[in-house]
Amino acid sequence: MTLRLATRIALRELRGGLSGFRVFLACLALGVAAIAAVGTVRESINAGLQREGAVILGGDASIALTYRFATDEERAWMAEVALEVSEIVDFRSMAVTETDRALTQVKAVDDAYPIYGETMLEPDVSLVAALDGDGSVPGAVMDRVLAERMGLGPGDSFRLGTQDFTLSAILVREPDAAAGGFGLGPRTIVRTSALENSGLLTPGTLFDSQYRMRFAEGADLVLIEADARTSLEGAGLRWQDRRNGAPGLTEFVDRLSAFLVLVGLAGLAVGGVGVSAAVRSYLDSKTSTIATLKTLGANRRTVFLTYFIQVGALTLLGIVLGLALGGLVPIAFAPLIEASLPVPAEFTLHLRPLAEAALYGTLTALLFTVWPLARTEDVRAAELFRDAGLSHPGLPRPVWIFVTFAILGALVASAATLSGLVTIALWSAAGLVAAFATLIGASIAIRLIARRLARAGWLRGHTTARLAMGAVGGPGSETTSVVLSLGVGLTVLAAIGQIDSNLRGAIARDLPQVAPSYFVVDIQNDQLQGFRDRLTEKPGVETVESAPMLRGIITQINGRPAAETAGDHWVLQGDRGITYSTDPPEGAVITAGTWWEADYSGPPQVSFAAEEAAEMNLSLGDEVTINVLGRDIAANVTSFREVDFSTAGIGFILSMNPAALAGAPHTHIATVYADEAAEAGILRDLAQTYPNITAIRVRDAIDRVSEVLRSIAAAVTYGALATLLTGGIVLIGAAAAGERSRTFEAAVLKTLGATRGAILANFALRSALIGAAAGLVAIAAGAAAGWGITRFVMDTDYVFEPISAFAIVVGGVLVTLVAGLAFAWGPLAARPASVLRARE
Amino acid sequence: MTDTVLTMTDAQLSLDGNAGRVDILKGITLSVQRGESLGLIGPSGSGKSSLLMLMGGLERATGGQVTALGHDLTRLGEDALARFRREHMGVVFQSFHLIPTMTALENVATPLELAGVADAFDRASAELDQVGLAARKDHYPAQMSGGEQQRVALARAAAPRPDILLADEPTGNLDGTTGQAIMDLLFGLRDRHGATLILVTHSRELAARCNRVIRLRDGQIAPEQDAKAAE
Repeated sequence: MTLRLATRIALRELRGGLSGFRVFLACLALGVAAIAAVGTVRESINAGLQREGAVILGGDASIALTYRFATDEERAWMAEVALEVSEIVDFRSMAVTETDRALTQVKAVDDAYPIYGETMLEPDVSLVAALDGDGSVPGAVMDRVLAERMGLGPGDSFRLGTQDFTLSAILVREPDAAAGGFGLGPRTIVRTSALENSGLLTPGTLFDSQYRMRFAEGADLVLIEADARTSLEGAGLRWQDRRNGAPGLTEFVDRLSAFLVLVGLAGLAVGGVGVSAAVRSYLDSKTSTIATLKTLGANRRTVFLTYFIQVGALTLLGIVLGLALGGLVPIAFAPLIEASLPVPAEFTLHLRPLAEAALYGTLTALLFTVWPLARTEDVRAAELFRDAGLSHPGLPRPVWIFVTFAILGALVASAATLSGLVTIALWSAAGLVAAFATLIGASIAIRLIARRLARAGWLRGHTTARLAMGAVGGPGSETTSVVLSLGVGLTVLAAIGQIDSNLRGAIARDLPQVAPSYFVVDIQNDQLQGFRDRLTEKPGVETVESAPMLRGIITQINGRPAAETAGDHWVLQGDRGITYSTDPPEGAVITAGTWWEADYSGPPQVSFAAEEAAEMNLSLGDEVTINVLGRDIAANVTSFREVDFSTAGIGFILSMNPAALAGAPHTHIATVYADEAAEAGILRDLAQTYPNITAIRVRDAIDRVSEVLRSIAAAVTYGALATLLTGGIVLIGAAAAGERSRTFEAAVLKTLGATRGAILANFALRSALIGAAAGLVAIAAGAAAGWGITRFVMDTDYVFEPISAFAIVVGGVLVTLVAGLAFAWGPLAARPASVLRARE
Repeated sequence: MTDTVLTMTDAQLSLDGNAGRVDILKGITLSVQRGESLGLIGPSGSGKSSLLMLMGGLERATGGQVTALGHDLTRLGEDALARFRREHMGVVFQSFHLIPTMTALENVATPLELAGVADAFDRASAELDQVGLAARKDHYPAQMSGGEQQRVALARAAAPRPDILLADEPTGNLDGTTGQAIMDLLFGLRDRHGATLILVTHSRELAARCNRVIRLRDGQIAPEQDAKAAE
């Protein structure tokens, strides 16, 4: 009965139209739209990856091996289960011409490649024809960027190792490129058989081999995978199939979009400020209606339900608008988005992200409206006879406080569960709550300071400034809503600015100071001494460090699958470098246990990096099984040592006693520390003397990493800008809501003799003051967040970055000025008589 | 020698409303002498407040001429009118019209500051003392009663020592006793500063305290305007 009655009254009340709810709808719709859009793009990419899984992977399934080719037994198994098998070899090398040399990621293929998809070349020839070459010299195709850098065109020659190639065509599209992940050099494709005399695939060389398989229609991938794991157990193989053709990419897309959804939630929270303000203002205007309803006998429940239904209907409308916007905009812009994505995407309406966005929208709207709605219970019939609004001080009934916390908990739990980033989601929620608390505290402080300043002796006579201070600090001030709405977006931007500049600074500015000039891989045993001697004698070379290097996968810890002890720690993801050494590395700090004797030849022992070992719950004496070149080596952990990866020097998680790895074919890696001026000469000399080795210029690698970081920062910045846009709408809402009081103030000031210029200056100054205050608070909060993340998460030194900080204050001032002044013209133009008469 | 501070010649005011153009004032001609107190009375809607607004330059006449202290108010721009008010006029409204974001002291000091008075706050403080609000200077309007707010408004109007004091039903929102006290203060201020007072009121009693009374009816001066003899 109560519900029906409340619904009837609510519907009658809604006849008044939605004009007072534009900001409410805009805030909610925009917040929901941002989250829905991010989710839609994510699902579209994932659907695209799923659809094209086989093409991206290069087969229905792939078996990857580190450092070796498949054995006869493994080949036999593949031949049995697959209709077709293609062998791919992937490694880094140097492409060399008479005048130039550059790092390249080589893919050596057979004639079955690609099993799925097509390679696109320029000129338009088949890959087989291109790799055939001119009969005397084998052919190759190369990324345009690499060919241009080396000044090569079709028909020109270059060398890989000791083998000459003719560049037959430019590689325009590599069908399985997306599965390749992060590579340091652009791609070159050659035929594997052409590398026989290159000296590049000798035992111990660092390369990956992949065997892509095509199965019969309807083959059961689950069964085949299970068979592979049983039949080829202990081979150290990595299995992938078309169900998830690019797991690294999918994970990256999922993680980035989950993070963007969290940023979107910040935007929704900012929108919540606008939603809350709109509901408060609406309910304020309904005080007399509520009092009348109570006079007529309506109970608390009826009144609450009446307005809950109205707000609920508007929430529904806002969410539907947001879902339509967030779901349809990516589809409308699909061709544009697809063109800028390096991966396939299938743009269509995806229900999951829309449901997710709707859930977030509903919970946020509830969170920000329950409190003002609860206040309707406190309106008494007697208020009809008083000029009082709903802005009673004090808290609502305890049950509503409990409900508020329950909704907040549900929101945080949803974000943690749906994003899959539990820790980041919880930290973000805590950060957001802390940011809101800080901003509320700051706005109270700003108002107190402004009130003090308005009364300060030295400001007397400076009417404009004093009036502005009075408005910032006085009753009915817009300070809190502006600082809140603008502050959260600016804080996120400030934090991004600080983290980005510090992180990139650490990588691009500080790292080259301590990092080596070159990282050299694939140095053969018989080349090592000559390599070291040659470089040490070279002018400009400061130090050369080298270490033997093998690669292996940790498969078991104490006889149980490694993941059972160490979870999904990154050390277990794929293969890791392993070295051996008689003595501890120079300057190494052993934190626990002891290093083996120089002549130790007992059961294998391993020294583990201390920090990673702690994260993986390893203890001294644990047995770690490492698969090296298909052979399992079980070694006892006998010591932990500190490994510093921050200098980009040689550092191994795993170091074993030499006897443990005796006989395993391997190469050496080296770091060369040299003057920047000498770098080019060193590379030239190395490439000529040791054609098989690969030298990676650390500065180039740093540039690549910086580039990736810049792209990620840009994506997050767009997210923060969406938050700021929502903040802008709240700001406009606040400015619009304050227009009436500004009109009155302008009329009174004109009556007292103020010119329009003086009034405008007063309005502008107060907007600028609040904007600057919001900016300053954001910088403080952003710098604190930046410091925390830089110092404790990224483990680098923090330096305050002033340029983005300054831009944020200026941005804050500009945004509030624009919003404030946009609503200043009405008050300035209004005739005082008509304004004041209307108030009589 | 008589000194005319304000003259109106065939002053007219028409406003555009939803129901079309409404003629509010239909040719008012009058003059006010320095130091005089003039009461404007008449029924609701007769145009009393509008006439006061024309006199204060808060409303622009749509016809005729309004001259105050030698300035033709119909020819002055909005900012010039503001400057004129700042130098020569004080206005008190029925609904007080204090700025809610300012304390009592700041409200009173504002016109003095706008006029560039160096000791604006000291004078504002003294003015609040005069109206009996020494203890309420740091209070915001919302923290004061209606009577207190109107006393602040009086202090604000009187503080710049205006030549002309315009009061639009200053006791209309107050109870009888408080209204009486406000009127005592208003006339007291006028007497102390020698300003010309033009008072819109419904009350014949209050009007009787003025030197002269003009009765308005339907936007015009009623024939019996001089019915109340100056006492």
